[in-house]
Amino acid sequence: MKAAGLLPMILLTAGMARAQETLDCHFAPGWEAAGAIREYAADNLYDYKDGAADGYLSYGFARMRTIECKSGGDMLTIDVSEMTDADAAYGLFTANRDSRLPIAKIGMGGQIQAHSGIFAKGNYYVEIAEVAANPESDHSATMQAFTAGMQKRLEGGETAPEALEWFPKENLDSVRLVPESVLGLRLLKRGYVAKYKQGQAFVVQEATPQSAEEVLKKLREHFESVTPAQVGDEGFQAKAPYLDGICIFRKGRFVAGYANLPSAQEAISLAAKLAVMIP
Amino acid sequence: MGSNTSRREFLSAGLSAGLALPVLSAASAMGQQPTGKAAASPVKLDYRTLGRTGLKVTTVGMGCMITSDPSVVTRAADLGINCFDTARGYQHGNNERMVGAALGAKRKQITLSTKSQASNKDELRKDLETSLRELNTDYIDVWYLHAKDNVADVTDELIEVQQLAKKQGKIRFAGVSTHKPQQMLPWMAQKGVFDVALTIYNFSMDASMDQAIEAAAKAGMGVVAMKVMAGGLRRMQPGDQALEKLKQPGAMLAALKWVISKPSVATTIPSMTDMDQLDENVQAMGTTLSAGDQKLLSAHLDAIRPLYCSMCGQCDGACQKGLPVANVLRFLTYADGYGQFALGRERFMELSAAHKAVRCGDCAECTVKCPHGVQVAGRMARAQELFA
Repeated sequence: MKAAGLLPMILLTAGMARAQETLDCHFAPGWEAAGAIREYAADNLYDYKDGAADGYLSYGFARMRTIECKSGGDMLTIDVSEMTDADAAYGLFTANRDSRLPIAKIGMGGQIQAHSGIFAKGNYYVEIAEVAANPESDHSATMQAFTAGMQKRLEGGETAPEALEWFPKENLDSVRLVPESVLGLRLLKRGYVAKYKQGQAFVVQEATPQSAEEVLKKLREHFESVTPAQVGDEGFQAKAPYLDGICIFRKGRFVAGYANLPSAQEAISLAAKLAVMIP
Repeated sequence: MGSNTSRREFLSAGLSAGLALPVLSAASAMGQQPTGKAAASPVKLDYRTLGRTGLKVTTVGMGCMITSDPSVVTRAADLGINCFDTARGYQHGNNERMVGAALGAKRKQITLSTKSQASNKDELRKDLETSLRELNTDYIDVWYLHAKDNVADVTDELIEVQQLAKKQGKIRFAGVSTHKPQQMLPWMAQKGVFDVALTIYNFSMDASMDQAIEAAAKAGMGVVAMKVMAGGLRRMQPGDQALEKLKQPGAMLAALKWVISKPSVATTIPSMTDMDQLDENVQAMGTTLSAGDQKLLSAHLDAIRPLYCSMCGQCDGACQKGLPVANVLRFLTYADGYGQFALGRERFMELSAAHKAVRCGDCAECTVKCPHGVQVAGRMARAQELFA
């Protein structure tokens, strides 16, 4: 929260004017505003978030509005980030959520803990973070109240991105949007990664089937000992350092697959199930 | 306007300093590097001592903040990089968990650092326990008070918690991370309780930054550089032409080599998201800043020069209204370049009332010209708009 008050840029725009009405400290009894609403754009988010600004920008950040609230010795901050699209908003949520805890039905998805609440709704990603006088206290009811209040006031869809439904549910641990370099490979620019008890699956959407073909071609060249696999429109299997048994395929404009499985054969078997789900 | 080092001279100085690197490599060959699997690394590893901590760290470390895939962290450790940095707040704690899992059995060979942005002792204590748990470790090598840009923010109670943790063996060394080294490093050196300083530092900065860094190292603090690629130009957004230029092959590597060429810097923690980036960055070890690197960085500085005054002192002409143009542009660089808005405004407010009242937009033509292309009138107007 450093430098929070240093550069309160007033950048009112039509898009955020509506969000301005949502920022409120009165969602729970005893809470009041501890300062003016501040607004940040991509070019000055750093003043507020320091290096963490890079995380927001990588997902597709438009602007943020924020307010600090207080109640006795407790302080909380509400950050409402307007992202470039709902995918980006949900993606940022997946990066910040605790993957060990379930996703709550708040907007497209949310999570509430003792001193924090986060959720995504439409193009908005909301973070409520409390600095409590007693860190051992449980203020999840307050977080619930603020989260519910904000959720009601924000407009936007409440349906999670459809790509989440493509991943087989069995042994699924978590799904997140990786904003760049899926599996640590620059060729796979941005996509959803599903972590399983064993291995991980991914889906990257390219602009066209042709560009997806090009990516698959380069991936084939990237790995050693590649052999074709009958999955999707075209695919291959390989074994690679750090990724173990892999199977990568293309279906239309999607490049997808499985990695980190004991054998490429297992990867092929699972990839075939994923391919069926991708439209 | 004095005889401040020009940017090109600044880069040349970096080149000269870079020539000292083989000496450091020779030092590592004499057995100063940690033992273990790192010795078998396929990449050339260079080590330096992290100030008074005595830790031997590779000059290229890894900033894990935006790393999504643990395989990149694991491979970096396999290659022999032995310095990894994360923070409690990165990705709401997910980053620490990922880094801890990715390092796994290599933990003992690694200098692992994390940070807490807590502002009171209870939060700070709680953060430490959480970090230890999430990183799956018994101790943290360097624990930073995170993003402290004002001396007043480093309160006695925070220092007490940090020092107690050190006595308890939960952390080995205490540090502070800052984006305002010119303000914070002299104070940290004088305070004497901090072992490591994590600071923004890169080729785009003026020579006064060098002095702050050198003084910190001389005071015995280990200096770790962050934002080594373009952090000082952070207002560049994805798609920005200048940023795209910096992404050209070799430019990022040159920027990293420039920082490593500074002997006062013990290690760097560039962010890495993929294997390609990792492969490129490790090349900065064992090589020196070349004339070609220098050219790349100079070209990049040319691209950003219309915005950033390098304080070269070669302004052509004088302001009709007597404004100390170079100083005002420097104040603006504090804000726009390094994010030190408060410092920039503070300095601006120290100008005389008459100077503060001047509005450059009122002049038909500016009589001050920059030989390097800084748009003087426009930048002065921005400073007045921002600070006055």
